[in-house]
Amino acid sequence: MYADKICIRFICVYLRLSAALFFVFAAHAATIHLENGAFRVDGWKPTGDPASMFSVHVGMSETPMLGDYEVAGDSVIFRPRFPLSSGVSYRAVFHPPGAAKLETVFEGPAPPNGPKTSVTQIYPTADTVPENTLKFYVVFSAPMSQGEAWKNLKLLDGQGKAVDLPFLEMRQELWNPESTRLTVLFAPGRIKRGLVPNLEDGPPLRAGTTYTLTIDQGWKDARGLPLASTHIKKFRVGSADRTPPEPNRWKVTAPKAGTRDALQLDFGKSMDYALLLRLVSVPSVNGSVEIGPGESVWRFTPDDPWKAGVHQIKIDTALEDLSGNGVGRPFDIDVFEKVTKTIERKTVSVPFRVR
Amino acid sequence: MRHFKLTIFAVLLTATLAFGASGLTAGKVELKSAGALAFGPDGILFIGDALGATVFAIDTEDRTAPKSVEKIDIRGVNQKIADLLGTAADQIVINDVAINPISKKVYLSVSRGRGPDAVPVILRTDSTGKISQVSLTNVRHSMATLPNPAESKEVRGRNQRLEAITDMAYADGRVFIAGLSNEEFSSNLRSIPYPFEQVTKGANIEIYHGSHGRFETNSPVRTFLPYTIDNQKFLLAAYTCTPLVKISIDDLKAGSKVKGTTIAELGNRNSPLDMIAYKKDGHDFILMANSSRGVMKLQADKLGGFQPIVAHTETAGVPYETIASLKGVQQLDKLDEKNALILTDASGTLDLVTIALP
Repeated sequence: MYADKICIRFICVYLRLSAALFFVFAAHAATIHLENGAFRVDGWKPTGDPASMFSVHVGMSETPMLGDYEVAGDSVIFRPRFPLSSGVSYRAVFHPPGAAKLETVFEGPAPPNGPKTSVTQIYPTADTVPENTLKFYVVFSAPMSQGEAWKNLKLLDGQGKAVDLPFLEMRQELWNPESTRLTVLFAPGRIKRGLVPNLEDGPPLRAGTTYTLTIDQGWKDARGLPLASTHIKKFRVGSADRTPPEPNRWKVTAPKAGTRDALQLDFGKSMDYALLLRLVSVPSVNGSVEIGPGESVWRFTPDDPWKAGVHQIKIDTALEDLSGNGVGRPFDIDVFEKVTKTIERKTVSVPFRVR
Repeated sequence: MRHFKLTIFAVLLTATLAFGASGLTAGKVELKSAGALAFGPDGILFIGDALGATVFAIDTEDRTAPKSVEKIDIRGVNQKIADLLGTAADQIVINDVAINPISKKVYLSVSRGRGPDAVPVILRTDSTGKISQVSLTNVRHSMATLPNPAESKEVRGRNQRLEAITDMAYADGRVFIAGLSNEEFSSNLRSIPYPFEQVTKGANIEIYHGSHGRFETNSPVRTFLPYTIDNQKFLLAAYTCTPLVKISIDDLKAGSKVKGTTIAELGNRNSPLDMIAYKKDGHDFILMANSSRGVMKLQADKLGGFQPIVAHTETAGVPYETIASLKGVQQLDKLDEKNALILTDASGTLDLVTIALP
């Protein structure tokens, strides 16, 4: 009886040792690979929940990354829920029970190659802008990282001194869908008359001063790489513009019938670049738009030759000039003064005759 | 024939069960971006997707009240989220934080990445500090598309316009949305009746021009809060040009101009970020986080006393004090009557912590 017990105990110990040796052997035989963004342990047939033995971590973090497991033959595959990031180390840990831990560190993919990103244009392009200019657009040659703007944009006054907080520094930066164009608003409280910031600080831009806008090279593009160089734009500031754009003062240069000559609309002052592209059109005539010098001219080239007769240029009254004055609607209206210039229509039409 | 009727009945019953009284259907929610968050009734979470010009309503199925409200203290929450999502901490942007008023669990809208291919993620956490992803692959939801202004059909070129959703709130069966365009400055406040099935191609989305002050503009609202003053419902709206304005919800009619009342000027070189209302020791207060003027505690007992401006001077102002101990606060939400949750930025490290309401 006693001999039987010893025998059973011996068999148990033997089995336990065998199991442990099997796992140690299995663990040592196993290898971890990174293939096509997925981590893979080969040479191991899992006997339990793979998530309890195989995990992938960012650097030395204890938190396992989110992802999905797949068991295929003698392999376990971990597919991270999100693509791997460049510049990040990933630590894959395989630790079956009773066996030594196997760790392998992999580096994230290299950032995509390509030319360095640069600033291609800043609107308005005019040399002189009104004191109450509301915004500008910075256009980049490739998609940019968001959340970097306010530390990389600087406005310097005539003495080279940084203007204190000239912009509306919003958490939600105002990018286009491709992340290649940023809209930068000057602090509207300093532009709108009658408000404390306007009364105490005055507008961020002062008439008669030449300013320098700098865009720092350190601004990262969407690949995480800095710009090709620091971009500098100088501009002069003129007096404030509180006059809404008036369609009856605009000059139309009509093209000739049978040609594909450009139709030209001259506003007599600089207008908002983005709105010019979107809000001015010739109904029923397809074509392409070019914006002229200082954003004061809109040129439209039709796809097909012009037909003789009277046509219309349609302008949405949401069109604004550089100071946020809309068509028939000044940026700020003094409600205690009688407002005489109001246009209730949502679009205005400027006729022209093609002969 | 009988079989046909039964089939129709079964189909209708299935449709009713799937659609539900709230108009939610089960399925995948495909976010293009995850920005402003707001909780509605019964654990419904509204997600503002500015890139997709859509507001989603999702059923979190998170409707169990906790036995007691525990404090939350997650230091370096951006690093913890980065570890979970497999990237670097500087590639994590926390866009908004909202507390489910029933369960007191915390929901975060996050961008994984900073470029145009950033992935939107909704996360959930609680006092245990464990962060998990809210699965959107099969969730009861509905959506309302925000109409984009018309663009020319004749002119070639891709529309570059986007409207950031700067804040969102639910009150009295309506989701209010404040936005700011990357093109025209002139701006609107919108409301969408909830449940969303009433919305047909944006027809029921109401737009208001809430102006204020002597010099009217259609300036954009930065952050706002539904608030009751003397039994009348208002939106307290902080504008990008700094004033705090009260707008009567009853006066908001589609397409109408609404005259708000400026009740405070929040000072220069500053932009409001977020605000909450609370009661303490029998008094009403508003706590407001700001970009450069710290956290302000506004005395809100007499907000009903501020009259619309009728003279040339603009001197109205609710008294406030700045809470010196609260620095770098980016987000605020009320946890309960005594505590708030704040997201603070200490030189790149974000902390999500509970504070006692001051």
